[in-house]
Amino acid sequence: MAKTIMIVDDSASIRKVVRLTLESQGFDVIDATDGVEALKKLNGVKIHLLITDVNMPNMDGITLVQEAKKIPAYKFTPMMMLTTEAGDEKKMQGRASGAKAWLVKPFQPPILLNAVSKLILP
Amino acid sequence: MNDETDYLAEGRQVFAEESRELLQQAEYILLKLEDEPDNDELINDLFRTIHTIKGSAGLFSFDDVVAFTHVAESVMDQLRDKEIFLDDDLMCLLLDSHDQISQLVAHALDNTEEPIGDSLREKGEEVLKNLHQYLDVKTPHSSVVMIAESELKVLTESEVALELTESVINDYWHISIRFNRNVLANGMDPLSFFRYLDTVGNITHMTTLTTDLPSLDDINPEESYLGFEISLDSPASKETIAEVFEFLMEDCLLQILAPRSKLSDYAQLIYALPEENRAIGETLVASSALTEDELLKVLECQNADINKHTIVTDENITLDKITNILMDDAIIDKNITGASTPDTALDKQKQVKEVEQQSVRVNAEKLGDLINLVGELVISSAHTELKAKQTEQAELLETVENLTRLVEEIRDATLSLRMVQIGDTFNRFKRVVRDVSKEMGKKIDLKIVGGDTELDKTVVEKISDPLMHLIRNSLDHGIEKPDIRTANGKSETAIVKLEAYHDSGSIVIEITDDGAGLNPEILTAKAIENGIISANQQLTLPEIHRLIFAPGFSTAKEITNISGRGVGMDVVNKNIDALRGQISVNSELGVGTSFTIRLPLTLAIIDGFQVQVGKSSYVIPLDLVEECIALDEQQAKKGEYINLRGEVMPYIHLSEIFNDEDSLNSTPDKKGRRYNIVVVVYAGQKAGLVVDELLGEHQTVIKPLGKVFQNLKGISGATILGSGEVAMIIDVPGLIRRLV
Repeated sequence: MAKTIMIVDDSASIRKVVRLTLESQGFDVIDATDGVEALKKLNGVKIHLLITDVNMPNMDGITLVQEAKKIPAYKFTPMMMLTTEAGDEKKMQGRASGAKAWLVKPFQPPILLNAVSKLILP
Repeated sequence: MNDETDYLAEGRQVFAEESRELLQQAEYILLKLEDEPDNDELINDLFRTIHTIKGSAGLFSFDDVVAFTHVAESVMDQLRDKEIFLDDDLMCLLLDSHDQISQLVAHALDNTEEPIGDSLREKGEEVLKNLHQYLDVKTPHSSVVMIAESELKVLTESEVALELTESVINDYWHISIRFNRNVLANGMDPLSFFRYLDTVGNITHMTTLTTDLPSLDDINPEESYLGFEISLDSPASKETIAEVFEFLMEDCLLQILAPRSKLSDYAQLIYALPEENRAIGETLVASSALTEDELLKVLECQNADINKHTIVTDENITLDKITNILMDDAIIDKNITGASTPDTALDKQKQVKEVEQQSVRVNAEKLGDLINLVGELVISSAHTELKAKQTEQAELLETVENLTRLVEEIRDATLSLRMVQIGDTFNRFKRVVRDVSKEMGKKIDLKIVGGDTELDKTVVEKISDPLMHLIRNSLDHGIEKPDIRTANGKSETAIVKLEAYHDSGSIVIEITDDGAGLNPEILTAKAIENGIISANQQLTLPEIHRLIFAPGFSTAKEITNISGRGVGMDVVNKNIDALRGQISVNSELGVGTSFTIRLPLTLAIIDGFQVQVGKSSYVIPLDLVEECIALDEQQAKKGEYINLRGEVMPYIHLSEIFNDEDSLNSTPDKKGRRYNIVVVVYAGQKAGLVVDELLGEHQTVIKPLGKVFQNLKGISGATILGSGEVAMIIDVPGLIRRLV
């Protein structure tokens, strides 16, 4: 069965490219525009990886990761930050929130796939 | 790789739309910030829009955009952190930056290989120079990669001056890894990393270390207790191999030794690993990383460097401690946010709003196709209705009636798909007003009313330029300088009002200013000078005001770069005409000027009222029809006006206008002939259209007239009737203008 990845980003073009890239590798993709929508969509659905932007309206990526980790079903779900935030402070904050994987934008599709394959088996 | 370019191409299209919206939003926020410079939320929103543009642009390698946006973003970041504050200069600079980004994005999306033009680049450099003045030069933001590397080196670099300089006879990489207990809870599955490692090279040997494993009773299944010693056959660089474990950096103890490393490196490794030295040494021998001899040599040096060993482990402990402290902080943070209920309530509100505004993007072309199809559907439904009436079968008529109603609903729903709020267009003028008032030293306040009024997107697109002309004219000619205003007893700040509302099937846009108003004497003098009117012509005040729409008319004493060279107003008039709209002007000297634009709501399908004159059918837009009355013959002969319940109303015979011989010939002195008057109203002005017969409502799909007929008076288009006949659509505004 195909594995499911959730991508959360407020940029429509990034969602599009990430979705197409992942789908080409046989992943199922769920997307959300911000943390609030992501949490709403997360209810009960099995996902194998969460990829999220940091800076988003309504709820940012770091809060999203913290909140998602509180839900038992997602406690062990790998979470990756997709971001331009290269600042150490943000990184520390992100790591403390439970997202250990970071992908600094601008990423190219092969780089994304590489990072994903480190975290989950296709 | 081909696939990949495809995704990017598709993503680019999305980016085009997205960036346009984001930039518009950014401009809107900037202008709003001018009124409330301390609004943190706005500053945050601003940062985020620019940030998103940068992120997305990076994805498509729009390097010019990224480079510029990065600097602008950094300045906004400082603004967000309250290190700098928003003053007039910075506001201008940010607006300039916004414009620069817009142009860079536009250039990038043009898909040309050409570098950006000189003027654009120079402008960009100038803005960048100014932006840099706000930036703290000492804190550049690009140290991530370096930090990751230095973390690695803490564990791998040998500081110990061992004499074990000879190399081992091992051709494989050696990787030692000990996972932290919480690695699973962080979402990291060690297995997937080994799988990935296998893509970098070939794992020739792997030893699992279970020394940390507690007794079965004490095992927490959510924790990891294992360590691994791995031999890897790989041509990859050390960096590549380290990158495999990049995400695990804080969750494991990692040591990587190159093939044929020095013995001293192995010695260092053995000290650094948490297990007892001899045990680990034997593991290394077992995995053929070291030979027995090599191990012995290494262990001999053990005592000499025992101190170093403890230092390294100490470092590990401190690192762990820091992580723990951080984790605690995170928990406290959560508690704080959990306790503040007002925030949560706000979030919920936002959430509801989000749901309401959910939308699907549809290609405009598809929408156009759909509207055309619905047009055809309307025509063929009219045809069906007609045929059904001829059969006089009650059941069939009933069904057809139902069908017709549904078609009408579909028509309305489809047309509403293309309706957009005019507010976005209005908001764009805020910037114009701001820039012009700065440039000309005038104080002007732009008021927007009815921004949520909807009209057809195609109309919105075409109305934007004429509106811009009118507003610039108001700002330039209409509004006086502050000193003149105060001298005339007006408030220093002028008000320009943009208002939109619906009125009987039209949308009305009013541009009102409280400026100097139009001076009839100057207008007349100018018109005579330009040969538009003759010197002895007597004009009413409205006629004088309308002179400004005459081609080649300009009263501006000097040409400024804000309003045009007198070509503006007649072009405005033409553009609005082309939209089947009308513009009127109302002005009082010294008090102000007001332009009123009336536009049809949509350009595709309307409800029409079908009438007959002679043998031809005509359609009058139903929204403009007020009532139908019978005209008695006595009155008809009196001439051009009738008394409509005490009101004087002009009327006109359509047969005369269209020179319909059938109708005209049957007119004279035929007894018992009845005339019908359709009372139409447009812009508050009533008029009667005399027709032979009233045929009732008709859904009218407007087919534009060909170029040849474009200047035909009295006709605004054509439509196809249910019977397949063609009927002309009456240009009511045009006819009323002729009558009044």
